[in-house]
Formats: sequence, structure tokens, C-alpha cells
Amino acid sequence: MKIDQSLPLEYSTEENRLKIYGFWIFLGAEIMLFATLFASYFTLEGRTGNGPSGAEIFEITPVLIETLVLLTSSFTIGLAIHAMRLGRQKAVIAFFVITLLLGAGFLSVEIYEFIHYVHVGAGIQTSAFTAILLLTLGTHGAHVTIGFFWGLFIVMQIRKRGITPQTANKSFIFSLYWHFLDVVWIFIFSFIYLKGMM
Amino acid sequence: MGELFPRGQVMGFIFSLVLTAVAMLVYFMDMSFTTGMTVLLVTAFIQAGLQLVVFMHAGETKDKYDIYANIVYGVLMALAVVFGTLLLMIWDVV
Repeated sequence: MKIDQSLPLEYSTEENRLKIYGFWIFLGAEIMLFATLFASYFTLEGRTGNGPSGAEIFEITPVLIETLVLLTSSFTIGLAIHAMRLGRQKAVIAFFVITLLLGAGFLSVEIYEFIHYVHVGAGIQTSAFTAILLLTLGTHGAHVTIGFFWGLFIVMQIRKRGITPQTANKSFIFSLYWHFLDVVWIFIFSFIYLKGMM
Repeated sequence: MGELFPRGQVMGFIFSLVLTAVAMLVYFMDMSFTTGMTVLLVTAFIQAGLQLVVFMHAGETKDKYDIYANIVYGVLMALAVVFGTLLLMIWDVV
């Protein structure tokens, strides 16, 4: 195994570098997944049938909390990677835990939001609009849920094995995933919620 | 402690909060649909670019051109799908 000392630990072997590059290609495919969901959302947005429209069910407070929580978690995972490059294991774990707690906070608000939608009569079968709305939000929420457990396992590995080329690589790839989910949320926030409430 | 909070990332975070606040104006102020959508498009794409460069370290290694090419391709395809769908299904232009 050839180790290149001029690069951060997560890039230090050829395999690690290719894993990061491969993950970027995966993110390219994820962009397409969400693009098709957005295209479907814009198509079905007006088909509310007998159900409510977006303007009638969206609430600004939970949406704003979700946005701020996710933006902050994207910042803290960035700090975790920075601390990792300084070799500060305790700080890495602390920032990871904060990120995951914020992720759990985001999911709690989103679950509350979904329950609220069902209560006001906007379930997944109500209309084409509610179906595509909950599918788009749900796909993003499922990604955050997977990310939560993925991050949890990585933080356990860092505790057990320390910052090695392997754990550094996994952490960096996880940070890419987490930032990507934040980017997707920005588009959901702008073009589903704010556009719907405008 | 200070070394754990690099200036670039702190500024990036503050800027992303500012962008969110600007996007919120479309809710709190009375804007036309066109103005509102313009504000949202601008803030959302700047926000995405910010994450990509400041937080995702996209330009750090010799893979950067491949990474950017891949992302640009993904985004162009996404725009083609979204605007192609809007043209055919919503705007009734074609």
C-alpha cells in the first residue's frame, strides 16, 4: 500500500482516492433521482383534486426549523472533517455526535410535519399533489435516516480504531453525502415550500 | 479551540444563513411570481455552489476536473429533465 503523505489522510492511498471519486459519481446519479422527483412534483403540483393545496397545508415554522437544523449540521460535519485533518480525534467524535443529533432533530420535525399533514387530510392517497409531495419529502427523509445510521456506525469505528486512512476515508465520504442532502433540502425548501407559500 | 473553527467554513456557514434569510423574503414580502422565483433560483444555486466548494472540498485533488465534469453533467441533465418536463406538461409551449 503506497501512502502519499502530501495529501490528507482520506486520500492517502489510490484505493481511497478512487472511493471518493466513485462517491462523486454516485452523487451525480442522486442528482438525477431528485431531478425526476422535482419534475414530477412541478407537473402534479396543481392536481389537488378534492384535497388541500400546498399553500393551505405548509407551515413556515417547522420548515424554518428543519432548514436551520440541517444547515447547521452541514456546517458541523464540515468541522468534523477539518478536525480530522488536524488529527483531533475527540473533536471529530464531538462534531459527529452534534451532526447526528441535529439529523435526528431534523427527522423528528419532519415526522411531526407528516403526522400534521395526515391530520389535516393530506395523506399520500388524497391527491396527485399530496402523493408526489410526500414521495419527494419522504425520499429525502429516507436518505437522512440512512445517513443517521451510517454516521452512527462510522463514529463507533472512529472510537474503536482511531483516525486511520480507512476511517478518515469513510468519514470524508459520509460528509459528502451529508452536504449533498443539505443541498437537496435547499431545493426542497425553495421550490416546494417557499414557492408554494409565495 | 480556535483552530477547530476555520475561517472559511465559519464564513461559509454565515453566508448560507444570509442566503436562507434572503430566500425567506419571498414569504414575508409581497412579490410577484417572477421576482420571487428569480430570488429563489439565485439563492438556491449560490447555496448549492457554496456547499460544493467550501464544504465538499470539490477542487482539492487532481481529480477535480473529473469531479466538476461529473457534477456539471449531473446538473445539466437535471435541468434538462426538469425544464423539459415543464415545457411539455405545464407551459404547453411545444
